[in-house]
Amino acid sequence: MPAVEMVGVSKTYRGRGGQPLKALDGLDMVVGSGGVHGLLGPNGSGKTTSIRALLGLVGVDGGSGTMKVLDQPVPSGLPGVIGDVGAMVETPLFFPGFSGRRNLRLLAETAGVPSARVEECLELVDLRERADDRFKGYSLGMKQRLGIAAALLKAPRLLILDEPSNGLDPAGIRDVRELIRRLGSDGRTTVLVSSHLLAEIQQVCDSVTILARGRRVASGPVAEVLSRAGTGDVRVVVPDPAAAAAVLSAAGFSVSPTPDGQVLVHGAPAPGQITRVLAEHGHYVEELVRVTPDLESAFLAITGERA
Amino acid sequence: MSAMTEQPTTAPQPAAAAHRGSLFRAELHRFRARRFVQVLLGLAVLGWLGAVVIGLLNFGEPTEADFADARQQMEEILASERAWYAECAAEAERAGELAEQMCGPGIDASTWRVEDFVQTAPFDFAATADAGAMAFAAAAAVLLFLIGATWIGAEWSHRTIVALLFWVPNRVRVMATKIGVLALAAVAIGLAAQLAWLLMAWILRTFVGDGQELPDGFWGDLLAVQGRGVLLVVLISLIGFGLANLVRNTGAALGVGFVYFAIVENALRIYDPMLERWLISTNAAALVAPDGVRVVDYSVMTTGPEGPPSYLVTNLQGALVVGAAAAVIVGIGVWLFARRDLH
Ligand SMILES: Nc1ncnc2c1ncn2[C@@H]1O[C@H](COP(=O)(O)OP(=O)(O)O)[C@@H](O)[C@H]1O
Ligand SMILES: [Mg+2]
Repeated sequence: MPAVEMVGVSKTYRGRGGQPLKALDGLDMVVGSGGVHGLLGPNGSGKTTSIRALLGLVGVDGGSGTMKVLDQPVPSGLPGVIGDVGAMVETPLFFPGFSGRRNLRLLAETAGVPSARVEECLELVDLRERADDRFKGYSLGMKQRLGIAAALLKAPRLLILDEPSNGLDPAGIRDVRELIRRLGSDGRTTVLVSSHLLAEIQQVCDSVTILARGRRVASGPVAEVLSRAGTGDVRVVVPDPAAAAAVLSAAGFSVSPTPDGQVLVHGAPAPGQITRVLAEHGHYVEELVRVTPDLESAFLAITGERA
Repeated sequence: MSAMTEQPTTAPQPAAAAHRGSLFRAELHRFRARRFVQVLLGLAVLGWLGAVVIGLLNFGEPTEADFADARQQMEEILASERAWYAECAAEAERAGELAEQMCGPGIDASTWRVEDFVQTAPFDFAATADAGAMAFAAAAAVLLFLIGATWIGAEWSHRTIVALLFWVPNRVRVMATKIGVLALAAVAIGLAAQLAWLLMAWILRTFVGDGQELPDGFWGDLLAVQGRGVLLVVLISLIGFGLANLVRNTGAALGVGFVYFAIVENALRIYDPMLERWLISTNAAALVAPDGVRVVDYSVMTTGPEGPPSYLVTNLQGALVVGAAAAVIVGIGVWLFARRDLH
């Protein structure tokens, strides 16, 4: 049973001047049960809109597609499964005059979550010490962490986080990613996390759906999807790039020099080979980096492949 | 936030097993925790204390000094009246008319009583009970209008009502609960206001009262006015809530309320005096006032004994008009909330 299923879902907004704006254009998305699933796409590609649609916050275009969350149809079956779904969409929404703890307690009370769980979740996001401060005094990162704590309160089977690392400092980002990984591997939680950062998806997700202009352009296990997008290029820094390029060329690699005096090796299956060949000829590698595509080129690669 | 990495993920707990969730209880807690509500109620208590003190200082048996002041005032007025009459009589004589005919009967000082000029009087509960109950109802209604508008307005400005839907997806239920909590609070505060009036009246009667027995049927009549006063407080709180829910903003809702009462109603009165009977403020007063409110059209000149045309706005009409306004304003807001996209 997939945790989330969207088939052919469209959502049209009235844009400025009344012209229609298709935020979702026949979107398909299947999130298998368990693990971490990424929703990757540039800004404005429809990540937040699809999450809002899944939570019943926005109505989708009449007659367009079907949605299911934890096997229940959305929105009619939502009340039945909402106790198992935790979510944070876009920005954390809390009462600014209440403390973080009071904000969580009010939510916990609506669902009958014991107050011990509130303390646990505050601890999980390391907010215990500031829990009695007013929400309005929190930094962006603390607000974000309180939002994640609120989403965790129900100990949900499906956790939906919309760009959770927004506003966090590097340490915070690392911790959130570790938390997501840990939840995704606990054998009962399915995490759906959206991001516009390829690196983030690569780090934390098992599978991914890539969105562009409200449509799915690729999906599957992360490694598989990204290898389709990957260039396989390796960038090598050596003291004598010209000689090294000649050596590699002679060894059968496809090579091109870069303007800044480095060597680009195309389609290299194993970077270890490059190091060995160069070392045998007295060239010692100072730096060797696999060229990962940025999101833009990944998109181009993926959409180009499918076109 | 290293704790995040050190803490093991907590074992899932069946949330609903031990505790039943209650949106109503949570909303009630939130209402009581609101700083705005606490500050307003605190100010109301201070205002009440001030009113009691002013009452204690201004009511009471007149003293010798009060009588002396009153006598002096009476003599002054009597003197000026006499001067005026003398002047009038002189004029009549010149015109060859009778003074009685032109200036009325002469001044008879024997009918003037000093007591009528005494400013200080003991507190007369029988005479002020209804007016006091209405004043307390009006004050509580203004308070609850503000509380009702901010109660939902704050939710819209911080969009917390959207976050609440992650917990309770049934939008009508969410709105109904918030309205229920507000109505309950309005009943409680409306009742407290009426009790505050009774307490104030008891204090004034005890210390500066006239010592008179209350007339038969006094309590029945007063309790009826007070009960309708509580109803008014509830309806006005709902109107405040409904306005803020429609425009999704507290400030704008208060602005709409101000424009309506300060400008729209007055404009309508000028346009046609008889429209008075359909205005919210008239109907609100008629709902609480002992025998409703009589709207008189003074723009019609009459000489007949029956006077200018008038219309009685009854308690029932007041309740129906204010109730209908509240129902429409709240109803449209809830209907929109149930259908709209929420961001
Ligand atoms: N409330 C709205 N009204 C009109 N257009 C909207 C609204 N919300 C989102 N959109 C548009 O829908 C598209 C998708 O937005 P969104 O789902 O927020 O993208 P993402 O989360 O991937 O950045 C964008 O073009 C955005 O401008
Ligand atoms: Mg977004």
